[in-house]
Amino acid sequence: MDMPTPKLNKQDLRRCWRAWMMYNLSSMSFERLESYGFCLGMMPALKKLYQDKQQRIEAIRRHTSFYNTEPQLGAIVNGMVVGLEEKRANGEAIDGEVINTLKVGLMGPVAGIGDSMLPGMLIPILLSIGMALAAGGSVIGPLFYIMAFSLIVIPGSYWLFMKGYHMGSGSVEMLVSSKSSRLREALSLLGVFVMGGVAASYVKLGTGLEFITKDGVNIHLQQMLDGIFPNLMPLLVVLVTWYLMAKRGLSPVKAMLGLLLLAAVGVACGLFS
Amino acid sequence: MWFEAMLIGILCYLGALSSPWLLGLTGGWYILSRPLVSGMLVGAILGDVQTGIIIGVAVQAVYIAMVTPGGSMPADLNFVAFPAIALGILSGKGPEVAVALAATIGIMGTVLFNAMMVLNSYWNHRADAAVEKGDERGIYLNSAIWPQVTNFLLRFIPTFTAVFFGARYINAFMDSLPGGVLTTMNVVGGILPAVGIAILLKQIIKSYSMLIYFLVGFICIVFLKLNMVALVMVGALLALIHYNYKPEPQAATVQATPQADDEDEF
Repeated sequence: MDMPTPKLNKQDLRRCWRAWMMYNLSSMSFERLESYGFCLGMMPALKKLYQDKQQRIEAIRRHTSFYNTEPQLGAIVNGMVVGLEEKRANGEAIDGEVINTLKVGLMGPVAGIGDSMLPGMLIPILLSIGMALAAGGSVIGPLFYIMAFSLIVIPGSYWLFMKGYHMGSGSVEMLVSSKSSRLREALSLLGVFVMGGVAASYVKLGTGLEFITKDGVNIHLQQMLDGIFPNLMPLLVVLVTWYLMAKRGLSPVKAMLGLLLLAAVGVACGLFS
Repeated sequence: MWFEAMLIGILCYLGALSSPWLLGLTGGWYILSRPLVSGMLVGAILGDVQTGIIIGVAVQAVYIAMVTPGGSMPADLNFVAFPAIALGILSGKGPEVAVALAATIGIMGTVLFNAMMVLNSYWNHRADAAVEKGDERGIYLNSAIWPQVTNFLLRFIPTFTAVFFGARYINAFMDSLPGGVLTTMNVVGGILPAVGIAILLKQIIKSYSMLIYFLVGFICIVFLKLNMVALVMVGALLALIHYNYKPEPQAATVQATPQADDEDEF
């Protein structure tokens, strides 16, 4: 064959990354999740690599299978697959099955790491700083969150995409090495620590119970509690909710209804105010 | 009011989980649909940024750690962030009542989220058919355009309706509630963040020893009166200590000892 070898330039790669970032969830359904998102993310590369229509449709079909991962960290998988498709289009012995196995094999671990790092740690930490800076209704809080999150995640996922493209299948080592799992452990420690502060600052519960002894001494229960351990009641609520959800499998919606019931009963008995 | 309702409806669509316009979920779901951010935007549209942010912060605490693995959704944060916060601001009953209102609307919103997930199956099948026919335009239409039209209608119409009509009645409706209901809503609004925090703890805490860090963080705020920025710094330093001094997993040496014992027996 004397076909010119198709090469992807920087612009094509950037298009692929952008298409993936935009469309990853655009047609999500219970049955396919990100399958067509992945396909649209491959489109710019496939258009350039496979000039022949029949070959192109074949490649598109390969990328419409079920797919689901954490999109922002998952950009690394797209980078790798774009790299493999380029090699394949240039005649290297990589069959479609290999590419698909790689995708399916990586989507689970990358989703696990991604979900625990982004919505599990980075977002709560940035939000809790933003919420603190927003005290009294200051716009600094939301603006801080918008800036910090965009500046970390947008260049980060672009970098991961490019890393995946250049390093190929070796790039995932970076995410699952013992050094990075130690880093994740340290970050989850930070996440739990900050959540302690969030619980102390944002969970509010007080009692309005008062007793008047026969000597006329007014005992205000909340003031007594505050003298011993302020915010003890919110702490107990959080720990009990966590225990029921983590150890007894209570769903979030049921937990919310449970708290509603607790509040209604508490208000009715005059315990809470 | 129709103009404000329209703006909030458009923002609600832009912040939806599957909306592509702001780099997908990065700029939409993870930025616009955070109640902290949407509180500011909705507040600005309704002419009271400060109240908007205060309510946004209170609502944010409930959903601080919401993760949606594989598209399961305990509450539709997008409806919490836009129509619910708008009604919370308009009701004028303070942040705790707004939180209770938002949680209710959020749970109801999951119905529409699930409807979108089911409707998209139809578009997926049409896209499959387009692949079989080799119709590239059809693939694009059925995986990018039509699902987004569906998404827009499912986000814009309920939000517009809720804000446009709700704005007139929410105040009177809230005033007509008996005192006990409002007090209960207040108490619920105060304790609901426990669910958001518990969701995060459930994910992260693998052993009870991790709970120590949670308690230390709690005590730093309650007794030491640190502010949140200082708390994050202390936490970052603790994390750094953990990272530096945790021993590498020593699988090789642990396994070497029993092997040596085995050899002795022979």
